[in-house]
Amino acid sequence: MPGGSVRTSTEAIASLGTIVGAIAVVILVGVEIAIVYAIWRYRSSRVGGIPPQITGNTRLEVIWTVLPAITLVVVFVLMIGTMNEIAAAPSSYQGAMPLVVRGHQWWWELRYPQKDGTEVVAANEIHIPVSTEIDVSLQSADVIHSFWVPQLAGKMDLIPGRDNHLRLYASRTGTYFGACAEYCGIEHAWMRLRIVVEPADRFQTWLRGQAASRAAPSGLAQKGEQVFTTALCASCHTVRGSSASGAAGPDLTHLASRTTIGAGVLPNNDASLHDWVADPQRFKPGSFMPLVPLAPDDLNAVIAYLRSLQ
Amino acid sequence: MTAVAPPIARRTALFHAPDWLRTVDHKDIGVMYITMALVFLVIGGVEALVMRWQLALPEQHVVDPALYSQLFTMHGITMIFLMAIPILVGMANFIVPLQIGARDVAFPRLNALSFWLSLLGGLLLYFSFVAGGAPDAGWFAYVPLSDRAYSIGTGLDYYALGLAVNGAGTIVGALNLVVTIALMRAPGMSVSRIPLFTWMVLVTSALILLAYPALSADLVLLLVDRYMGAHFFTPQAGGDALIWQHLFWFFGHPEVYIVILPAFGMISEVIPVFSGKPIFGYRFVAASSVAIGFLSMGVWAHHMFAVGLGNEADDFFSAASMLIAIPTGVKIFNWIATMIGGRLRFTTSMLFAVGFLTVFVFGGLTGVTLATIPLDWMVTQSYYVVAHMHYVLFGGVVFGVFAGSYYWFPKITGRLLSERLGKWHFWLVYLGFNLTFLPQHLVGIEGMPRRVWTYPASMGWGPLNFASSIGAAILAVGVAVFAVNVLLSLRSGEIAGDDPWDAWTLEWATSSPPPPGNFVQTPVVTSRRPLWDRKHPDRPDPS
Repeated sequence: MPGGSVRTSTEAIASLGTIVGAIAVVILVGVEIAIVYAIWRYRSSRVGGIPPQITGNTRLEVIWTVLPAITLVVVFVLMIGTMNEIAAAPSSYQGAMPLVVRGHQWWWELRYPQKDGTEVVAANEIHIPVSTEIDVSLQSADVIHSFWVPQLAGKMDLIPGRDNHLRLYASRTGTYFGACAEYCGIEHAWMRLRIVVEPADRFQTWLRGQAASRAAPSGLAQKGEQVFTTALCASCHTVRGSSASGAAGPDLTHLASRTTIGAGVLPNNDASLHDWVADPQRFKPGSFMPLVPLAPDDLNAVIAYLRSLQ
Repeated sequence: MTAVAPPIARRTALFHAPDWLRTVDHKDIGVMYITMALVFLVIGGVEALVMRWQLALPEQHVVDPALYSQLFTMHGITMIFLMAIPILVGMANFIVPLQIGARDVAFPRLNALSFWLSLLGGLLLYFSFVAGGAPDAGWFAYVPLSDRAYSIGTGLDYYALGLAVNGAGTIVGALNLVVTIALMRAPGMSVSRIPLFTWMVLVTSALILLAYPALSADLVLLLVDRYMGAHFFTPQAGGDALIWQHLFWFFGHPEVYIVILPAFGMISEVIPVFSGKPIFGYRFVAASSVAIGFLSMGVWAHHMFAVGLGNEADDFFSAASMLIAIPTGVKIFNWIATMIGGRLRFTTSMLFAVGFLTVFVFGGLTGVTLATIPLDWMVTQSYYVVAHMHYVLFGGVVFGVFAGSYYWFPKITGRLLSERLGKWHFWLVYLGFNLTFLPQHLVGIEGMPRRVWTYPASMGWGPLNFASSIGAAILAVGVAVFAVNVLLSLRSGEIAGDDPWDAWTLEWATSSPPPPGNFVQTPVVTSRRPLWDRKHPDRPDPS
């Protein structure tokens, strides 16, 4: 049962990797020693005349066919054990917390289904509670992507028309880094992912915060919202509570709560947000976010607005 | 004494360039294939060097991501379809008829067609650069990324057309080699006396006939999807994106063995000759090639462990992939056993063969780790796979081809390659290769995905990538030494004579380079080593 598991998938894979790696190293060292021995012992300066014309030895052939076969059977059996532990089959996820991850060129859409049927929407930075089984449903809005957080689990692809599942479990709080692992177009490199594992109460606080509509802007930010909703921004981005309801880009309702922008390309602070909105192509060439020409005052207002979206 | 009368003929001139446009001679066509491959080796190598420059430091902007994507796509396509296949088909073209004592291949005109189709496919692929941009969806061109919705330019059209034309040439060429080896062997050359290079070319050719049509079909489906809206691959319209992957890898994994088996064949010629002993376990080495060929048709989905086929399907493909390690191991053990008890002459050819052994073992073992599904879930699509794949394809195929080049260059041209430059070539390539690709295993395990045009400085992958880029530069110098060696030796290399290596197979019984028609009279084969029998009439080959 997944609930009885105390290891992350990565820990299970790492212990299998240690055993298989050790077997491989023993074989590697053995074979390399045999090669070096042959080079040293039988080099022409040490051997005279025509060597004996030996053509083979059936017993040796059988030995070096059977021994590797036995080794591989051992590896295969160990592998099956690890796969059962990781339990990639969706049926074993009963009771796990659901999370929908939807890949886009080149960002991650996150949906946390709630018991009341609603969903909490976020992007690019996944928060999960520690020591909790998560059933990640992996989907794609466009091309094939792959979900990979090396410190927590192996990969699973996000394929249009399919719903793949991955078990995620973190035994320690902290920030983990991941990325899209399947080439998905020219900005594949900047489809990075961040997972924040936190205690259950802090996670719930975060989730409630993400579920809320945007804080009503005031002052400069209020002007920023006007610019945002009337300029091109709102045709791609949603800010819940405002009239902006585009779906092509990430939901920005709580942009200011995120650590990075552009799926990892820049840190999320005043200066880099300013540079990013002024010319996204400078940092993420090929990204679908165009250069939207804004007057300097309007740009400053938009930045103030975006920074207010806690 | 010997049953083989000396079938020596003399051509007054040494090597001269073939009559490119009109020739149907297998040796000329072989040289044309090899020339094509070497040109594309340089092009694909330059593409790799630009990528290593871009990746040497984190967050650099040497090239933009659009160009980077074209570079890694074209690097893969070039090295597989325009370098590896042509150089192996070219060497097979030159050597196989000589090894089996034939005057030419079975269908010389078809042979010329094969070459011209292969080259035309390559030219189409490279024309894409001036037609608006090269293909940029990876050499594997997964749908839907390669469909028009996400790749609107013409790059993917040149990809599909170029590879289809190139593949048609490869299929026709394989058919020619199968028929040649099946029907045109010299009297006395029974199946158990076929030289191992020819044996492995036979298995490779059979694999091409089985695997390439799947790629051709896939490319046609892609073109129909792109231009007629057929939606074979579009899930919203009832298609399935995974059909492309199944067909592609049904071709793509056998392709690995298609290119590695002829290299195995070269190693199986070079190691015995420079060990002064016959190959250890001829029947096992030959049979293991057939086993590899057979198994290779049932392993394709090990490229798809992360697509969610389910554990049962994954287990089958994992088991089949692991099984391939057994016949591959048999080969390695037999090569080492051939060296043990011999008298080893470390020519450059032998250095590359032994270098091949030392690195290929490593690539084979990392291959087993990738067949182990949970480990694959962790490292697939990371730099670990880039490292593994280059240990097998560069450490395997290219080292094998270098061993074969030093071995057969004198037969092809009548002149020896310089052994002094050859030693530089070997050691620079050996050092550069390992420095380039060894660190990539580590950076992959640390989490660096492959096919990224840059990476965040904060991840700490900079030093390993820098080492890798330095290695690539050393590797490039090594290959440049080879190029210099070839050009200098063509002009002024030492005259080789018919049999410079004291070898045993029939290609060494004719002049260097061989005359038109190869042999003055058809040689008669009395054993696996017909020239050994002639040189040692007192103790003929026991086979």
